[in-house]
Amino acid sequence: MSGREDLIMKTSLHEEPNGKTITLMIDGLPVLANKGDTIASALMATGRRAWRLTRKGGQRGLFCGIGQCFDCLVMVDGVPGTRACMTLVIAGMVVDTRSNPEVAS
Amino acid sequence: MTDYTEVTIVGGGPGGLSAALAAAQAGAKVTLIDMYKTPGGQYYREKDLPRPDRVSGRQLRSKRLRKEVLEAGVRVLTETVVWGTFGGKVLALQGRDAPTSIESETIIIATGTYERAIAFPGWTLPGVMTAGAAQTMLYHGVLPGKKLLCVGTGPLQLIVAADAAKSGARVVSVLEAMTALPPVTKLVNGMWGQWPRLTEGLSSCLALVVRGMPIRMGWGIVAAKGDGQVEEAIIGRVDSSWRMVPGTEKAIPCDTICLGYGFVPSHALLNLLGVDLEFRPEMGGEVPKRDALMQTNIPGVYAVGDCAGVGGGPMALLEGQIAGISAAARAGHNSADAEAALLKLWPALVHERRFQRLYSSLFTPKPGIYELVTDDTMLCRCEEVTAAEVRRAIKLGADTDNEVKAVTRCGMGNCEGRVCSQILANFVARETNRSLTNVGLLRPRPPLYPLSIDQLCACAPGGRVANSVEDRQ
Repeated sequence: MSGREDLIMKTSLHEEPNGKTITLMIDGLPVLANKGDTIASALMATGRRAWRLTRKGGQRGLFCGIGQCFDCLVMVDGVPGTRACMTLVIAGMVVDTRSNPEVAS
Repeated sequence: MTDYTEVTIVGGGPGGLSAALAAAQAGAKVTLIDMYKTPGGQYYREKDLPRPDRVSGRQLRSKRLRKEVLEAGVRVLTETVVWGTFGGKVLALQGRDAPTSIESETIIIATGTYERAIAFPGWTLPGVMTAGAAQTMLYHGVLPGKKLLCVGTGPLQLIVAADAAKSGARVVSVLEAMTALPPVTKLVNGMWGQWPRLTEGLSSCLALVVRGMPIRMGWGIVAAKGDGQVEEAIIGRVDSSWRMVPGTEKAIPCDTICLGYGFVPSHALLNLLGVDLEFRPEMGGEVPKRDALMQTNIPGVYAVGDCAGVGGGPMALLEGQIAGISAAARAGHNSADAEAALLKLWPALVHERRFQRLYSSLFTPKPGIYELVTDDTMLCRCEEVTAAEVRRAIKLGADTDNEVKAVTRCGMGNCEGRVCSQILANFVARETNRSLTNVGLLRPRPPLYPLSIDQLCACAPGGRVANSVEDRQ
């Protein structure tokens, strides 16, 4: 029982014993993630591929995965321009992908 | 507040960690700066896996190395970036527990590498990602996609494809741009003794083959298509220059395209420090000239590992040790057995360099991958500048990529040109009929990583960063 049936992209590696999952809020909805997940892996686990809108209206998500390209920006606890691929999830963290982090910053 | 130390090391991968350990063991006061929460670099990234039952030898080595570094008394500043340099050997820092700047006798740059991006129609669609990004997701136990297409060259994409297949994704194809295998004698010469690498590569191939997932040689990506995210890739045959052969295009449904076209040395800080760099395609990009002790043309500035020419973790470990011993000696901690240690490391380094030469002779990107752009293809992801806009700037008189940047903002965005620098240089070279070495790469400017005004103000209370420059002059 992984407690992660809602996460459509999980693999067998993502099975975690009870107690190691945490809940964070993404766009107003609770999302279950593993301790050790980044915001990017937590988003991808739910099947989300795109979570940033560019100034010209383009959709972006994960690209470099190691904090170099700044494509995966989200708002975290009110702080805009936060890299989803570099930020580890914390219980109760509030992530907002609906406001445009690029414009907000 | 400016801190002072004897040896500052930027980058906590294998090169930076081994340099820190060697310098500290020689008696130097050492500060190691790393961007991540835990040092280790991409080479040791796997350690972050929340999987105690699947610990690899590499994870154990990285854990031991990090422990030794701390025990040797190295001050480690994590989640800290160097965003600029201010005269001499003063580095401007931004990080949670970091001083605003640090000055030192010697600096060892070990900033590593990042993956090469190539531009093609649709490459900004979500679902197009580097092979390394896909690997990171797999480390977290998350599928990067359900139907993966891996395109590129070299071993990384095979390893990622195999891991994805084992994790339950369907790999619709792995496209290797190389058109033919190299002669066996050449392979034996470069791969002899590289047993872990050979095992990893072959077992990845095997994992794909037994699952019926095709590996094709002499194929490449042409375009990505989809509404809001990748739904289909257009692929085609390539010739020996990796140029698309017209008429061979075909569509292949997929939701993820992993780009594995090799690595680019992270040279920005070397550039800011004023180190002489030369464009060496076989080394991945702009790299410094160094002496046998890893010192650049600037006395007291060393460069080790992939940032000085892509060569992999084992080579970085060796170069780091050499630079650590030399930098400590320069700071006045010359131990009697330093020379003996250097001599002992030399044969292993020669062995790794032989592998590096084989790797670069096989997997150095050929010009074709930079010729896929159409008018409305973005060259710059951050500032969303298209090829047509750059072409217009060139027609109006912009002659170099730095001039194009000034006119169009191409390369001026959040990534500070890390993604598009080589894409733009290749485009400008082709449009102006010049060689790539003549065009050169974009000059990185501070801040190398975005800073908020708040962070900038906190860095310079009363303009102290600026004053520290004046103090030195």
